[in-house]
Amino acid sequence: MQRREFFKKLGVAAAAGAVLPSLALSNEAAAPKPKGPNELSYKDAVNAITGGKKVVNSPLVHLKAPEIAENGAVVPVTVEVDSPMTENDYVKAIHIFATKNNNTRCIDVHLTPANGKAMFATRIKLGGTQEVAALVELSNGTFLVATQSVKVTIGGCG
Amino acid sequence: MEISRRDFMHLAAILGLGAVTNLQAGQKAPKDITLKDIYSFNAKGNVTLLHMCDLHAHLKPLYWREPSTLISAPNLVGTPGFLCGEAFAKHYGLEPSSLDAYFDTHMDFDTLAKKFGKMGGVAHMKTLINHIKKERGAENVLFMDSGDTWQGTGVALKTNGEAIVAAQNYLGVDVMVGHWEFTYGKTQVKKLIEQLNAKFISQNIIGDDPFADDYEELIFEPYTIEERGGAKIGIIGQSFPFTSTANPKEFTQGWSFGLRLETLQEYVNELRGEHKVDCVVVLSHDGFSVDQEVARQVKGIDFILSGHTHDPSPKPIVINGCAIVIAGSHGKYIGRLDIDIKDGRVKDYEYKLIPIASNLIPADKEGLKLIDELYAPYAKEFNEVLGKTKNTLYKRDTFFSTFDQLINDAIMDEMKCDISFTPGYRWGTTVLAGGDILMDNVYEMCGITYPNVYTFELKGQRIATLLEDIADNVFNVNPLYQQGGDMSRLGGVTYDIAVGNPTGKRISNLMVGGKPIDLNKTYVVSSWGGNLQNAGEKLQKDKIKPVYDVVRDYIKRKKVVDVSNKGNVRLLDYDCGCPKKGSKGC
Repeated sequence: MQRREFFKKLGVAAAAGAVLPSLALSNEAAAPKPKGPNELSYKDAVNAITGGKKVVNSPLVHLKAPEIAENGAVVPVTVEVDSPMTENDYVKAIHIFATKNNNTRCIDVHLTPANGKAMFATRIKLGGTQEVAALVELSNGTFLVATQSVKVTIGGCG
Repeated sequence: MEISRRDFMHLAAILGLGAVTNLQAGQKAPKDITLKDIYSFNAKGNVTLLHMCDLHAHLKPLYWREPSTLISAPNLVGTPGFLCGEAFAKHYGLEPSSLDAYFDTHMDFDTLAKKFGKMGGVAHMKTLINHIKKERGAENVLFMDSGDTWQGTGVALKTNGEAIVAAQNYLGVDVMVGHWEFTYGKTQVKKLIEQLNAKFISQNIIGDDPFADDYEELIFEPYTIEERGGAKIGIIGQSFPFTSTANPKEFTQGWSFGLRLETLQEYVNELRGEHKVDCVVVLSHDGFSVDQEVARQVKGIDFILSGHTHDPSPKPIVINGCAIVIAGSHGKYIGRLDIDIKDGRVKDYEYKLIPIASNLIPADKEGLKLIDELYAPYAKEFNEVLGKTKNTLYKRDTFFSTFDQLINDAIMDEMKCDISFTPGYRWGTTVLAGGDILMDNVYEMCGITYPNVYTFELKGQRIATLLEDIADNVFNVNPLYQQGGDMSRLGGVTYDIAVGNPTGKRISNLMVGGKPIDLNKTYVVSSWGGNLQNAGEKLQKDKIKPVYDVVRDYIKRKKVVDVSNKGNVRLLDYDCGCPKKGSKGC
């Protein structure tokens, strides 16, 4: 089945990805403390990457995250970008944001045409219900974005 | 080919061709209605799908009163899935006091209950199923079960679901999916599937333990292909997407749920492209409103047999050429869907939601014998009369129902807490006014595998936030973010709610013990059926006790219970519990 093959291919990348964001977010837990130098609002964090360039919502960016998180501490997120990944046209970077976490910038992934496919899967920590965003930088210097709301809840009904 | 099929379904929907239902069957005056009316069906095509959902382990007939309050986000109010009482009767054209009105609404419930008797029961279902199999030829009939079948009664709890699997095998279930099934834990679920003659399928349960062999692999077969009436029918399973948040995680540790619409689409394409099926069916426990959203987002599904939200829907809903049906709960109905499949596609169909009126459909002898055998070891405990009730005890409604209030009263009396939380499940039972309350009824209300009542401390602020969080799970404008239950029931608390307000701003005038809530104060809270205790502090370990024992002891102490139906929640956006579409009133 397609899915399985896809995950087999992805296996190594995903395993590595699972470690990185937890480092990036290690200072996230304590909520009320004053913001440190790396703790930017979503808007500021995006601007820090784009240099204020226009960011376009794009159907080329496929952001996959659960509607309702099973566990806010490990929310699986997959970003895939439709791109030929050739020397002339490729995805340079994928950035994943938890827009309302204390530290919004979860991970930066830099790619080259040699990656073959612009895809990255990882798990991120979400402090509460919020939008998750995938910001994508293309080789021609344009920025694309996709967002999805993920609900983090103590639980519900049956 | 794909387009012409959809065009046809679209046309059929406009002209009301495919969806003509035999509503008149249940519309006659009580004394005139006969078994013939219940059986009457405008047979069509070469295949019959029989559908049940949310049996909740009710092997015997019961009384089950439909909700008298069913509120959702304003964009959904008054639409199928959020219709009750008069709004429901008007939408579907039900005659007052008819058999259908008795089955589908709360109106005049006690009076009609005396006329028409109990609902459901597997021995009565079996008689109907046998009749249909004889009429259509057993080789042309497929029996599908949308899950929430193994849990909900004492006999289910005491046998860890085994009694119910025996009943499913007796009924001849062919395919099923699950939700509460999983609360028996992974090992028992696998054992029960071994005993089950049906196929258990789910495309949306994936291993998520990186150290397990099934990491990122399907736990169950995602679909099955069944041949009936010369047609190949592809059936994709969709178990409850939010099992791991709605029920304790430990039961399904290592399994990840979710809607997984991308893979659902892939399986639809695979069935049509690779396997050349003639008809694609999704057997689902998503809930009625979520499945309407699924039909909007996933292309190429012919039918969704839905479950979870317990809606009786006399007519299918057609969205993007996909017809969605749901067959109530507690064994009250069997949905019969006749399909005409020709030249590799669905040409036409006919649907009827058949009420299992136990006074009209005779019981199958073999079924009665089976039930007797299954109940025998527990008969003494289950049949004990604990006390009487002055008013009707029922479950359901968006904010409050009398049996839940009785449970909260029992918990507050025993635990001496400020606030009691009882979950807003949609399964349970109804005891008529003046009736005896049996221990079996108590299990019908709270027979779960994690029954403990926990008593602990919570800050006022936390309680207020929590209520908003629960309200958002119930009233979110996007059905995909709803979990398909009702508001938790609170003892010791009153509040006002504006369901149409934004997230986090719905609840006002929150009072505890008659005084405005103090956000900085610490309250003693008792709760069961959830994971609230994990958020609390100073858990009183010596007070932990199963909820069914707390309720049993309370009713025995009281002898006669008198619970008023006044309710503890004031609804600000609507004037009544069953508003019509686009209106604040009824």
